[in-house]
Amino acid sequence: MIQTIVKRDGRTVPYDRGRIERAIFKAAAALGGTDESIAASLAVKVEEYLTDNLHNTKPSVEQIQDAVEKVLIEEGHARTAKEYILYRAGRTRVREMNTGLMKTYEDLTFKAAVDNDVKRENANIDGDTAMGTMLKYGSEGAKQFVEMFMLDPKHAEAHKSGDIHIHDMDFYTLTTTCCQIDIDKLFTGGFCTGHGFLREPGSIQTYAALACIAIQSNQNDQHGGQSIPNFDYALAKGVKKTYRKLYVKNLAKALEAYADLEDAEDKVKALAAAVKERTGAVPAYLNQAPFDEAAKEELAALGLSEDTIKRAQAFALRHTEKETERDTYQAMEALVHNLNTMHSRAGAQIPFSSINYGTDTSPEGRLVIRSVLLATDAGLGNGETPIFPIHIFKIKEGVNYNPEDPNYDLFKLACRVSAKRLFPNFSFLDSPFNAQYYKPGDPNSEVAYMGCRTRVMANVYDPSREQTFGRGNLSFTSINLPRLALKSHHNVDFFFELLANEIDLVFDQLYARFKIQAAKHVYNYPFLMGQGIWLDSDKLGPTDTLEEVLKHGTLTVGFIGLAECLTALIGVHHGQSEQAQNLGLDIIGYMRKRCDEKAKETKMNYSLIATPAEGLSGRFVRLDKKKYGIIPGVTDKEYYTNSFHIPVGFEISAYDKIRLEAPYHALTNGGHISYVELDGDPLQNLDAFESIVRCMKECGIGYGSINHPVDRDPVCGYVGIIGDTCPRCGRHEGEAVSIEKLRELKKTYPGMPDYECYIH
Amino acid sequence: MTAKKNVETVGENVGFERIRRITGYLVGTMDRWNNAKRAEEHDRVKHSTSTMEQL
Repeated sequence: MIQTIVKRDGRTVPYDRGRIERAIFKAAAALGGTDESIAASLAVKVEEYLTDNLHNTKPSVEQIQDAVEKVLIEEGHARTAKEYILYRAGRTRVREMNTGLMKTYEDLTFKAAVDNDVKRENANIDGDTAMGTMLKYGSEGAKQFVEMFMLDPKHAEAHKSGDIHIHDMDFYTLTTTCCQIDIDKLFTGGFCTGHGFLREPGSIQTYAALACIAIQSNQNDQHGGQSIPNFDYALAKGVKKTYRKLYVKNLAKALEAYADLEDAEDKVKALAAAVKERTGAVPAYLNQAPFDEAAKEELAALGLSEDTIKRAQAFALRHTEKETERDTYQAMEALVHNLNTMHSRAGAQIPFSSINYGTDTSPEGRLVIRSVLLATDAGLGNGETPIFPIHIFKIKEGVNYNPEDPNYDLFKLACRVSAKRLFPNFSFLDSPFNAQYYKPGDPNSEVAYMGCRTRVMANVYDPSREQTFGRGNLSFTSINLPRLALKSHHNVDFFFELLANEIDLVFDQLYARFKIQAAKHVYNYPFLMGQGIWLDSDKLGPTDTLEEVLKHGTLTVGFIGLAECLTALIGVHHGQSEQAQNLGLDIIGYMRKRCDEKAKETKMNYSLIATPAEGLSGRFVRLDKKKYGIIPGVTDKEYYTNSFHIPVGFEISAYDKIRLEAPYHALTNGGHISYVELDGDPLQNLDAFESIVRCMKECGIGYGSINHPVDRDPVCGYVGIIGDTCPRCGRHEGEAVSIEKLRELKKTYPGMPDYECYIH
Repeated sequence: MTAKKNVETVGENVGFERIRRITGYLVGTMDRWNNAKRAEEHDRVKHSTSTMEQL
């Protein structure tokens, strides 16, 4: 006698034969059956089967359903059985679909990005493409797996509840964040990316092309961005090689033309080698005289007159300079195009690339800097503003900051280009925390930032290698400061207690993640480690784990919403009162102190970052709104203010904003940035633009960026500020304009895009 | 004989591109920004380029 059954969730409920009857009848009815009495007798048979054959008087739902199938088949109702089985499988699918991950997948599959915030978590991934969606399937699945099976339950709970945010959790078991790639070292002697050897590049074109390949390859090994810290220094070598090759060719051409010299190219090549051997002089950009002087001897030995030599050298110089400059510009143009169009991560994403430059004062380095700036200024095929790479112009007194400095002209150019194209950003090598490492002429002593703001320089693990090349961040986890403030109910002492505990938890979690990363091998990072890009990875053997070299990287604590935190604690944020600013500095200062202590204690590079926070900016406030309701100045917006920034909506002068944010740069050794927003076109007031940059430098900012609107009308190609109507062709957004008018405009603006593609 | 008027136009439904900096990198259109970052961009106070002396 069956009296109770066990439901899927474990509950015991009274048995009801009628349910079995109804389920069987439903299946039969789907096939056209109408006889309820058959269903009734079959239900009895199911019951008997369970009690008499299986001796099961307290069956589970699964067991009952198994019994129904068996009885239906044995009694000759095969088609009904099939129908029942299908119905059962459908119910199972529905059940599984309702679990969180499957719901997420459903949304990814059926909702366009415009309706799905998850698809727009990362703005540089197109969530609507097949590859973008596939990346998201993998990413969401991995996150759930990590949360359920890899994380310490304490850490998982803290993350899920919104006390902390573990960034890039989808990659938790797989890799590290980012790296500064020393391409000079990489290119020397050539390298591999997986199949086939790439010889050391021999011209500026191949230097630039391989720089892109290096970024793309490394992007496939890590989940964060890729940066080149020595862009000008490294590519200058390409310019040198191009110049020498071109000079030999051009001198040979001249001698063939002026003096009918046979086998001119071979002879000139031999001559150049001899000159180098004898005097060390080589053809050099903007410094051709030493070689020309020295070469007179070898040229005379070929039987050439003084006059011919003079004319030929002049010809060669003229053309080589021009061609070198053209080749360098075109190489930079190609680089900018390449970095805006190549895809990695299974085709879903353009690599997040950054380049640092500005301090190489050699003629070749200066040419690289000038060319990459001008190429950025020109834009992409139809004049569009390039999205990548992120450019960081390194400002340094004595090098490019003052009018008497050798690269000052390039600083001015950088401001002009930035005023149009939003890049370069500016880093400041004179800020005290950066200046302490600087050694003139040593690019590895120049702090280089990742485009996102990550900064890795000090090295507690190996103090003899406080450098930027070959290092990066391992992982970072952010603390929800506003929530801690809300929990502490205006009690600042209690807030600090809560903060202390949270930091302890984050240290634990960062270290646990490190242990997973450290257990991997070189073959898990074929490019980053296999090609020796990460510091000391070239010392590892195939069976070694990575612990000893990964320790050069940073384990970083981050934070968000200092402004909302202060408002929650004392009613105002640091833009509003000196007291708030002092408290803010105390809070961030305390976090930094804890990181320094932990670093010293463990000899590992724990650091503090002002978290970039893209996906995170909304997550914490959403959770806090649910938990605490809407609190003015704290949870009444859809986002928390980034890191230590003054709230973006707060009326404050640019100067005051910079002044107030600067001291936080010194505290966030893991990375920081300050922004100034301009409303108009700074090209109309370049002096003002430059004065903002100078203000940043004087206030001790480490990394700064100036935002201004950059609009473009794809139809007529106008780039600048567009209000309601385009200043060039006059159309409103979405409005059509006559081809006649465009033809007329093209006379004034020959670089206009091809509007043919818009004609239906 | 009347000349056939053939006024061809282009650009219907073509919007303007508005490039803005998200968290340190540029995105060519705000269509791909998540809701929180869109809200933040909306709130950003802009400083006037014409009155820079009052920086």
